[in-house]
Amino acid sequence: MKNLTVSSSPHIVQKSKTTRSIMLDVLVALAPALVMSVLLFGYHVLLNVAVCMGSCFGFELLFSLIRKKDFSRKAVKQSSCWDCSCLVTGLILALNLPRVIVVDKWNWNVYRTMPDIQGIRAADYVAFSGDTLVLCMLASLVAIVLVKLLFGGIGKNFANPAATARVFLFLAFGLTWTNTMGLGSLLSASTGATWLSSLGKPTGGQNFFWQLFIGNRGAAAVGETCMVAILLGYLYLSVKRIIDFRLPLIIIGSAAVFALLFDGLPHHLKGTALLKNMLAHCMSGGLVFGAVFMATDYSTSPNTFWGSAVFGVGIALFTMLIRAFANAPEGMSFTILIMNCVVPLIDKWMVPRPFGYTKAVKEKPKKTADSPLPYNETDKGGAKI
Amino acid sequence: MNTFANGIHPKDNKERTRRSPITPLAAPQTVYIPLGQHVGKEAVPTVAKGDRVQMGQKIGGADGAISASVFSSVSGEVTGIEKRATATGHCMHVVIQNDGKDDEVLLPPLADPTPAQIVQRIEDCGIVGMGGAGFPTAVKLRPRDRIDTLLINAAECEPYLTCDYRIMKEKAVSFLRGARYMAQALGLSEFTVGIEDNKSDVAEELENTAKHENIAAKIVVCHTKYPQGAEKQLIYAVTGRKVRVGKLPASVGVIVQNVHTALAVCEAVELGRKSFCRVVTVSGDGARQAGNYSVRTGTLVSDVLAACGGVGDNVVKLLSGGPMMGFALSDGDVAVTKTTSGLVLLTAAEAEHEEASSCINCAACVRACPMHLMPVYIDACILSGDTAGAKKYGAMDCIECGSCAYVCPARRPLVQSIRLAKKKIRARGANK
Repeated sequence: MKNLTVSSSPHIVQKSKTTRSIMLDVLVALAPALVMSVLLFGYHVLLNVAVCMGSCFGFELLFSLIRKKDFSRKAVKQSSCWDCSCLVTGLILALNLPRVIVVDKWNWNVYRTMPDIQGIRAADYVAFSGDTLVLCMLASLVAIVLVKLLFGGIGKNFANPAATARVFLFLAFGLTWTNTMGLGSLLSASTGATWLSSLGKPTGGQNFFWQLFIGNRGAAAVGETCMVAILLGYLYLSVKRIIDFRLPLIIIGSAAVFALLFDGLPHHLKGTALLKNMLAHCMSGGLVFGAVFMATDYSTSPNTFWGSAVFGVGIALFTMLIRAFANAPEGMSFTILIMNCVVPLIDKWMVPRPFGYTKAVKEKPKKTADSPLPYNETDKGGAKI
Repeated sequence: MNTFANGIHPKDNKERTRRSPITPLAAPQTVYIPLGQHVGKEAVPTVAKGDRVQMGQKIGGADGAISASVFSSVSGEVTGIEKRATATGHCMHVVIQNDGKDDEVLLPPLADPTPAQIVQRIEDCGIVGMGGAGFPTAVKLRPRDRIDTLLINAAECEPYLTCDYRIMKEKAVSFLRGARYMAQALGLSEFTVGIEDNKSDVAEELENTAKHENIAAKIVVCHTKYPQGAEKQLIYAVTGRKVRVGKLPASVGVIVQNVHTALAVCEAVELGRKSFCRVVTVSGDGARQAGNYSVRTGTLVSDVLAACGGVGDNVVKLLSGGPMMGFALSDGDVAVTKTTSGLVLLTAAEAEHEEASSCINCAACVRACPMHLMPVYIDACILSGDTAGAKKYGAMDCIECGSCAYVCPARRPLVQSIRLAKKKIRARGANK
């Protein structure tokens, strides 16, 4: 009995969960979305994912080495990149980008010569896009170094890295979805431009909702289209208790309510049209993907249930405001960033009451016959005129 | 099912010892009996070097209102009174050389005692809460508030420990009678036993025994969850009453007593035996012969471990108490006291020790905390020197159950931080 360890209690830990295992679980949960996006949008997605994850990992490793000024093997081993959270950021970022992003000034793209499909120019079917890969690296740099590491690394960033990087691309490089049509190679032809960007209300064919559900909806960020895949990821994360299963439900549920208030009622929709409008709002855009994978990000969401309920309702509110009134894209990313800024305040104010604290009951002074009457009461009761 | 909010579900590891009966362990050659085995003031030695003492003879007298007497666990000669280490600090120990005669002094048994007699007997026999805190039982049984419930804490939520389970299994009658004596002392006609449903077999047996013995006992089965055995959590689970922060359970009319305490009370009243013997669970992967042993207080931990087959080579931690709230010992040179419920020998695989990494803000600790505190912020505040912030997030209300540190995926030593916070807050309060 030598060399016994003496430490503070508790002496056992939950072995099934470590930071790395949580991050790997999130990667597993994202896998269906990745597979479906490759099926729907083609091999470009794989290239984007590889570049984003690789550069996120690389930047985190480099940052930690440069900051320590130590490039030995030991420093590499101790780097924070091995907790795999950078890979999650990279994957979410790649799934948040369109298939290709074309920057007109650079145009390092190879175009395919193909006939026009459904009124879309053949030139828009990019066979290989150098622009996209450069932008992926740039976005990773913003996400990992600027948003995450400069604020202190994992758990300390106040904004969602992937959402910030997406907004950065949107603002700096005019990220658009117009030339990002899915190839629809395995499934039937795409449904055309997303109805959110068109002013029209969902009037689509019979299988409009089915197409939305399986994700065959054309122009969009690649990962956020397929509801089935996201649902699988949501179930996995909920069963594994990585996320609080209530938060995505709160976000989507209150988004449905706000869709009704802001979009359905002002357009005088009634009956099934109203419901269809709500349903289409819930299933389109980045709402579901954002609700499951980005709003539940640990460091940028509140730490209590009621706090995250407020956070979720806020996200739903701002998303529907942007969708209904601004009529601009990027509703979900902007909203997540807006609400990320509110999280510290929510966490400051919404502290759970410790077990055994009860609200002190204010005791009213007892009325007696000779106690003075309040200024506005007569001796017969009621208000003085 | 009855339970409280939050909490955790650690693997209970009780299978190893739950079937091994309580085996008396032979008294060692020398016992080192600590005079501070309880909460409150250390007992004052009433013997001197060279005295011959009998088994059960008083060697330390209670000092003040909150204190308890200490009795010799063997017969023999006092060879010294010295300061030695205990599991949590230092105190005076009476060293007795065992002569092996075991001639015991007993008090006259009480037949049909009055409440005052029972409390007096408990005080005379030096009985303290044997669940771990060691609060003198007689003091607890003279409450200032009106009491309507006596709650026997049979939750035994700590992993590995099975001593209470074995007592309820093997000495059900004595246990129930002891609890009834305590209920009588409080002027109650019945008492409640709170038990977790992983011990539901013994709950049924207890119910049958109580019926057979004509004892008015209410057995309440609670959901298996840690820390169900924490006083305030158990009261909430069983009675639905919330004890205000900083108040004693008596403020809501409840007194909580441990299973082993009830057994000791029964022996004190019916046999007149003093409290100097207790059941200790020896468990963990590093224990060669895991089991439940009846050990005399003052036996060194190393003697206990040697008597039950020795220790495996792969042991990295020796714990006095359970793995969630027990104390890690640096060696076996510490005596077993009235409150040592277990000796757990953990191997490296069980006590996985990883270095703490940075907090990822996952709020697992917030969801686990049975006191509804925010360990993540207490940790952050105290590490950045913000004592007031730590106090605001409830550092002083922490019961140190270890749930937060157990679930933390970043392996942060949250309980240690909170202890530090408590110390700093107290120091600051003293300066003011």
